[in-house]
Amino acid sequence: MSGAIIPGAALAEYPSKAFLAKETPEALREAFGSTDLGETDKIEIEAPLIASDANMVPVRIHSGFDNTESISLVVAANESPFTAVFKLYESQNFVSTRIRMADSSDLLVIVKADGMLHTSTRPIRVGRNSCEA
Amino acid sequence: MTARTIKIRAHEVDGQVIVKSVINHPMETGRRKIKKTGKKVPPHYIREVIVSRNRRIVMEAFWGKSISRNPFLAFEIAGRKGDSITISWLDNRGNSDTATAKVR
Repeated sequence: MSGAIIPGAALAEYPSKAFLAKETPEALREAFGSTDLGETDKIEIEAPLIASDANMVPVRIHSGFDNTESISLVVAANESPFTAVFKLYESQNFVSTRIRMADSSDLLVIVKADGMLHTSTRPIRVGRNSCEA
Repeated sequence: MTARTIKIRAHEVDGQVIVKSVINHPMETGRRKIKKTGKKVPPHYIREVIVSRNRRIVMEAFWGKSISRNPFLAFEIAGRKGDSITISWLDNRGNSDTATAKVR
């Protein structure tokens, strides 16, 4: 074996209920057990102001917190706002991916660090309205 | 799965390993319609991505349908040249794939 990981050997559980939620507060409640998140300017969100392709919006997240445990993405306008959670098990503070946006919307980034929840929001406009997310 | 679906590039700068990867996957949301028939394409998306460095899990990502087709994933982690980075994915149909790359 070349160090293959058996699928299903995950350390955490897939947050099905958060992904099923249709509204942002419900998604936050399911994902974190709370909608009470502290606003912060220590999360750096790199994303286009206006996205030319709503199906492929690049986002880069830098957490300014030591001991960042997870980084979550929530797109308020999507039918399922909860987009992704990245659980970080070592000293890490950066992730980048590409997301779909159904419409111009706020992107919420939630960072869990030392057991505390922090959030930062970035509005992103999309060039056209043709996404199926 | 016979075709390789995961591309990984990893290189070290000052003790930090920068990993960039792309997974070939349709990431169907379940809402896209085939124009000719009007039928919806059933959902087919990656739910889970596990990343390990030298066989130790360092990151787990849980994804929904709002991640783009052929997902891109980049991250940084402490490490050095010669380390092995393994990325595995599992989708909602039980398909999966794993790939490993050496840090350059």
